Amino acid sequence: MFKYDYYRAGTLDEVSEILARHQGKARIVAGGTDIMVQIREKDKRWEDLECLLDLTFLESELRYIREEGNQIHIGALSTHTDLERSEIIKKWIPFLGKAASTVGSPQIRNRGTIGGSICNASPAADPLTPLIALEAKVVIHGKAGEREMGLKEFYLSQGKVDLNEDEFLKEFVVEKLPEGAVTEFVKLGRRKALAISRLNVSVVLMLDKEGSISYARIAPGCIFRTPDRVETAEELLIGKKPSEELWKEAGKEVSDEMIRRTGIRWSTEYKQPAVEAIVEDALAQAAEMIG
Amino acid sequence: MEKIKVNFTVNKKPVTVEVNPNERLLDVLRDTLRLTGTKEGCAVGECGACTVILDGKAVTSCLVPIGAVEGREVVTIEGVGADGKLDPIQEAILENHALQCGFCTPGFVMSAKALLDENPDATKEEIRRAISGNLCRCTGYEQLTIAIYEAAQQLKEAQKAQI
Amino acid sequence: MAQGKEENYNVIHKSKPRIDGVEKVTGRALYAADMYMEGMLYAGVLRSPYSSAKVTKINTDKAKAIEGVEAVVTYADLRKKKSWAGYMYLTDHIRYAGDCVAMVAAQSKSLVDDALAAIEVEYEELPGVYTIDDALSEGAPLVHEEYEKNIFTDSMFHIRKGDVEKGFEQADVILEREYRTQYIEHSYIEPEAVLAYMDPNSGLMTVQASAQNPFFTRRYVSDILGIPLNKVRMIQAILGGTFGGKEEGIGLVTARAAYLCYQTKKPVKFVFTREDSFLESAKRHPFRLRYKIGATKEGKIVAFEGEQVDNCGAYNNQTQFMNWRANVHSSGPYEIENVKTDTYGVFTNNIHSGAMRGYSSPSLIFGQEQLIEELAEELNMDEIELRKINCLKDGSITATGVPVEYVILQDVMEQTVEQTDYTRKHAEYKKQTDGRKRKGIGLAICYRGCGLGAESPDASGCMMIANEDGSVSIASGLAENGQGLKTAYAQIAAEALGVRYENIQFPQLDSFAIADSGMTVASRGTVMGAQSVRKAGEKLKKIMIKNALELRAFSLENTGLTYDDLTEEDVELKDAVFFLKKHPEVKVDFASVTNTCIWTGKQMAAYEWFMPEDLPQDHATGQGKAFPTFAYGCVVAEVEVDMRTGYVDLKKVTASHDVGRAINPALIKGQIYGGIVMGQGYGIMEDVAPKKGRVKNRNFDSYILPTSMDAPKMDINIFESGDPTGTYGAKSIGEPATEAVAAAIANAVYNATGRRVRENPCDLETVLLGKKLG
Repeated sequence: MFKYDYYRAGTLDEVSEILARHQGKARIVAGGTDIMVQIREKDKRWEDLECLLDLTFLESELRYIREEGNQIHIGALSTHTDLERSEIIKKWIPFLGKAASTVGSPQIRNRGTIGGSICNASPAADPLTPLIALEAKVVIHGKAGEREMGLKEFYLSQGKVDLNEDEFLKEFVVEKLPEGAVTEFVKLGRRKALAISRLNVSVVLMLDKEGSISYARIAPGCIFRTPDRVETAEELLIGKKPSEELWKEAGKEVSDEMIRRTGIRWSTEYKQPAVEAIVEDALAQAAEMIG
Repeated sequence: MEKIKVNFTVNKKPVTVEVNPNERLLDVLRDTLRLTGTKEGCAVGECGACTVILDGKAVTSCLVPIGAVEGREVVTIEGVGADGKLDPIQEAILENHALQCGFCTPGFVMSAKALLDENPDATKEEIRRAISGNLCRCTGYEQLTIAIYEAAQQLKEAQKAQI
Repeated sequence: MAQGKEENYNVIHKSKPRIDGVEKVTGRALYAADMYMEGMLYAGVLRSPYSSAKVTKINTDKAKAIEGVEAVVTYADLRKKKSWAGYMYLTDHIRYAGDCVAMVAAQSKSLVDDALAAIEVEYEELPGVYTIDDALSEGAPLVHEEYEKNIFTDSMFHIRKGDVEKGFEQADVILEREYRTQYIEHSYIEPEAVLAYMDPNSGLMTVQASAQNPFFTRRYVSDILGIPLNKVRMIQAILGGTFGGKEEGIGLVTARAAYLCYQTKKPVKFVFTREDSFLESAKRHPFRLRYKIGATKEGKIVAFEGEQVDNCGAYNNQTQFMNWRANVHSSGPYEIENVKTDTYGVFTNNIHSGAMRGYSSPSLIFGQEQLIEELAEELNMDEIELRKINCLKDGSITATGVPVEYVILQDVMEQTVEQTDYTRKHAEYKKQTDGRKRKGIGLAICYRGCGLGAESPDASGCMMIANEDGSVSIASGLAENGQGLKTAYAQIAAEALGVRYENIQFPQLDSFAIADSGMTVASRGTVMGAQSVRKAGEKLKKIMIKNALELRAFSLENTGLTYDDLTEEDVELKDAVFFLKKHPEVKVDFASVTNTCIWTGKQMAAYEWFMPEDLPQDHATGQGKAFPTFAYGCVVAEVEVDMRTGYVDLKKVTASHDVGRAINPALIKGQIYGGIVMGQGYGIMEDVAPKKGRVKNRNFDSYILPTSMDAPKMDINIFESGDPTGTYGAKSIGEPATEAVAAAIANAVYNATGRRVRENPCDLETVLLGKKLG
């Protein structure tokens, strides 16, 4: 059984100080829904864990979802339940709320946080793809102050994000989508609750006055080594009118891109047709919302 | 690893425990406070047998480091029902034969209570969703869903009567 | 829809509240893990990560040196490594990834963990066999040297009825098919747990364990310690689910805890982690089913040939019983003149298979009920019609060559077909050729021998004691597993004795209170096991009536009667009141008689033993009566299949079951609801899927069960057949409730997609690609 100390920090700077002092051997805990499982399973990453640093007492600093001009700021301590219920998210970026609502179970959503979910860096994390589709930025707090970077760059590989020893994730910043844009998140799991995504996808669509697609985002989950949009599939939509055929082409482009990036694997035989299906679904459902 | 002191309330009573920091809320409830109605089924937050209500929300106590409950309010199955009387949720579960082995039952009661405390108008669909983090291998969930729905109706009636 | 003759019962045939309901709904019920004792130690085991290996070196020095670690025991320390049932307490010969090499006891859970981590073990890996096909292949390594070709010969059974060669000659259509099923885990929510403590003076070892079969578990304790059975007191702890799973694993863990307790002279609590439970509790046997079936063009099945092979893993003492039942049921609920089947198990380097709700039937039915539909299609015949022609009816001769009675199978099926609008839907859905989501409806019928039958002795005992205040205590040799046995038994006891349900108390089974009555398995609890409760109740009733008369308890004034006029025949005891049958106004409370009895020294207890009729069977041909009676059922599943992801959404299940007599209808419904959802897991998502013997899915994050949101809409029909065989006419329901569900789902998936899933389950990949992935 791993043995470690437990600290609470009173301020954001104190968090960085403690992290720095332990030189990578302190680990942040928020909802605990991932780290507590990993510690119990004696995950090699935390073998030399010296302390757990609990952020949940910094709610006033880190738990918020707010609009600031054209931006939405989401504090890292916001729980999945917060995201699911946020009126701001519902209004501007509803697919993030939908993705959060499919995470685990009510108990997990009540404790698990968006910051933890992203820093755990599982490719199957449901809120990951809407944030990627939105080209979210992350704000990182460290001893030297704050820095900002793209979420896509922040996510280095499965289980690894770009944080220095003294740093932690403070918030996500996303630009509001243009008026008239619609979003959709589709998840394929093996059951209807407590499901880990076998595949998922987030899309954004907008039409111009003529009814042609003027804006598109497609971010599939669970198929790339690091999360990403499929820009070639997005470009293919621009300027065209919504149609079943078009969604098929986009789906095909996503699966082609998957194979280009990861090659043919044992699971490709299934993932290829299935990812095409859910990409088509997401686009069709989004288009339906435009009406 | 130094022991830590944690103050919190359990079922409205203040408690202070001095425990190892790597203990979970579940360990403290069971091994220290001997509130064994909260069960350990999987220890990874999937089965829901250890569900308690933390500051009004259902959580799996196997994933809560004990330090995290400092100053917070915890309600366990032992704190459900008042004056020696069963809660309407418990009554309805009995009435509907919505339990068999009973091991998961306290967890279901807690999830249902968290739901109905917040939303007494819950539909059956919302109930199914609220208990979707509680696994039961005996009942097939059917009688449980009906029971919780009936309890909701009763609670609403009682609220109306009070007004 | 309760059908059958109504009889005037006072306590049974009613949905009485659960006798153990309040303690469970309040969390006050004490399961083994909830028990604590002063100075108690915790225990744990060290398991081999390899599935076939030899331990070449083990060093426990570091573990022993940890302060607070009180015992470190390896295989080398044990007088007896192999249990009476063949499973290993500890071993250096690793036959599956889960075998234990050492165990420890320490002052805290954390210290147990540290001690286990400090034990150094070196292994030499050996070649292993994992699949049925590998195990049977030429030159395969042997899991046990004494079993040639890895065939578990004790588990081999045959049916030889009629002449299949001749039968196939008469057939216009002959079909051969192979079906396969998977390992699944019981997934009770309570992991195995035990508390062992010893009386230092008498040496009596008490164990309170989550044991499905307490006497079976007691045998392990006596076995490992080498002490007589009467030095072991086994008290069954309240059981948090079992479904056949808390048999071997809990026996081993209880024995180990008792051993550590014996060594340290301190109480020892041993609670399995979920991972321990996955690694050491038996799994449902995977089957390879090869069937050949022949029918005339009119749809009469004339011959059936089959080979049913199951993977029994590294150790086994269940497969022989499993396969005996599989053998009896090998040609399904059909009357077929010529049957030839062989059933046997093979050893592999996997986790052992064992009992799980339904025993072999869910696997067999998955094959058989698809086979019958494949045959119907081949014959160009309606699949319901084909079933009607061939299904068992009154007087039909089963595969074991004996006639059956009170067969309501066809009725049950026809009513379910009508109720679900099956025929119209099936025809309509079959026409679907495009569309992203397709609907499907599927049906399966089943029959199940009630109780243990000729498999093993189906005898049981009950002790019933009336106390001076009129309350009644019962002790039974069968145990509450969560299914509601105590409630049903209390109802039966109250009915038979003539007291109120509320008068009965039925504590946890204690090996010092009752004789070994075998295992609480095979859905035998109510149908057979309760016969001894009924007998004890009826006997005690006679005794108490005699007592009442001898004590002149009635006031005969104004009746013109004297005690000389009265015999026991004239007195009735009902609802805890004695009264004269001809003068019901002359009555006396049960409690006032018991109160007098205690001061006059009269007998107020009865002990009864029930032994069913002898069922001799011929081993070579499997012919002979196998079961006292059968329960019949029909399940219809309705699905929606996503044709592009393979996702099967189970929308609705209609389940109709012949329960003989519904002792407690609400409990029966609970069994059926639960059985359906367990069948849903088996049919759609559950798969332990060991890779080279290693179980990777060892907790509920990777091994997935249906949740409340997955459960389908469920319609239940309870049929009462009027068959008097079981206790008050009751039949089995626990296992029938789950056994046909996966087959009905597979048929529904076929109806929707036009593609057969012959390898369970209908998971995403299999439904989409028609094969397992990886």
